[in-house]
Amino acid sequence: MRILTTSIIIIINFILQTTLMQYIQIHGILPNTAVILIVSYALLRGSIEGAVVGLFAGLLQDIFFGTAFGYFTFLGMATGYLAGRSNRNFYRENYVMPIMLCSIAVFLYETAIYLTSFLFRGHLNIFYYFGRTILPETVYTAMFTIIVYRILFSVNEWLELKEKYRYRLF
Amino acid sequence: MGFFEEYKKQIIMIIAGIFILTALFTAGRKMDASFVDNAFGFVVTPLQEATSGVGKWVQKKVSSAQNKTNLEKENEELKKQIAQLEATVKRLSMYEEENKKLSELLKITPKFPQYTMSGAEIIAKDPGNWYNIFIINKGKKQGLAANMVITAPGGLVGKIVECGNGYAKVQSLLDSRSSISAMSLRTGDLGVVKGDYSLMDSGLCRMEYIDAQAEMMVGDEIVTSHLSTLYPPGISIGKIKEIKTESNGLTKYAIIEPYVDFKHLETILVIQERFDQKNNSEAEN
Repeated sequence: MRILTTSIIIIINFILQTTLMQYIQIHGILPNTAVILIVSYALLRGSIEGAVVGLFAGLLQDIFFGTAFGYFTFLGMATGYLAGRSNRNFYRENYVMPIMLCSIAVFLYETAIYLTSFLFRGHLNIFYYFGRTILPETVYTAMFTIIVYRILFSVNEWLELKEKYRYRLF
Repeated sequence: MGFFEEYKKQIIMIIAGIFILTALFTAGRKMDASFVDNAFGFVVTPLQEATSGVGKWVQKKVSSAQNKTNLEKENEELKKQIAQLEATVKRLSMYEEENKKLSELLKITPKFPQYTMSGAEIIAKDPGNWYNIFIINKGKKQGLAANMVITAPGGLVGKIVECGNGYAKVQSLLDSRSSISAMSLRTGDLGVVKGDYSLMDSGLCRMEYIDAQAEMMVGDEIVTSHLSTLYPPGISIGKIKEIKTESNGLTKYAIIEPYVDFKHLETILVIQERFDQKNNSEAEN
């Protein structure tokens, strides 16, 4: 049940990101909802599930838009695993932590992309890339975190309730 | 499960290592979609097609409501243009006939032959902010293959980098990884049209390595050159918007405005011929 719901969420997110989200871009900047998804899962469910969600979200992007197989997969996995390390010490209902963590995650994610695939090809004007793409994307993504995290939080609540009855956990 | 709990970190490290290695080994290779790719494509592309169809429909409704007032005026102008164009087409077809006869006499193969083209729709675009890649709704089943050239009414769009069963991955010429050997139609000066990240958003690209003595001017038409192994010669790319001398003084660079409007691109034409095999040399970037 959880696996099915999660995979449907990942696929829906990918489809929306590649089709309808293209209409709401500001100066060519799109919010990175895949990272929000990965970080939210990592926060709600721990680093292992974060890493698995990151793996599959990255895999989709690699298959359809990447030129090297494994690049976005690795990035997504690392994001999920590292974000999940911080999941123990906060209240899930609080919104400040997810927003902070998503912003940091997007910032590091995009910086990693810039460092590995632009800086090494000789695009050296770091400040242009930070000012033009990475920082605006971080802000835009932070705004989207509120909506996406809210939805994922309710989905997770619903799933945990179902699992509680099935396995008689608590 | 106990095994997994015990060696959690090691397992994750190994998986991550595998992905880094595959990324390093597959980087920049052009290959046809694998079984896994096709399986995902089979699930995802129809959904993408449907969703982007909804998006296009809404956009069409909104823009048609805005445009209704201008329609009559536009109609009249277009009719005038059609009349003019028809005259030109007649004149040109006469030239074509004449050209054919003359080249038959001289036994020259045509320089700008006609290619079989097929239309396709763009169904999804890159979710990231770094590259300019999109997916079209035709693939191997419809006779497409990697390295085929994509055009749109007006000019060049890019090339297919990977081809699945029912979809294909297209890299546009605005992508910073794309580079195309090109020349100025008027003067014949050569250069390389490259995508540039800072110009990508405004839909422009750069032409580099132009000779410092080249006599190119603003407004000149840029076409693909005969040196290219991937692109057939004579496909128009765009016109020069600005031309400047590079800071080293040895070469010039130009800002090119492509004829194709990449922001509102929805349908494209695939030239169903592969030019890279004819020349049997290494594919250029």
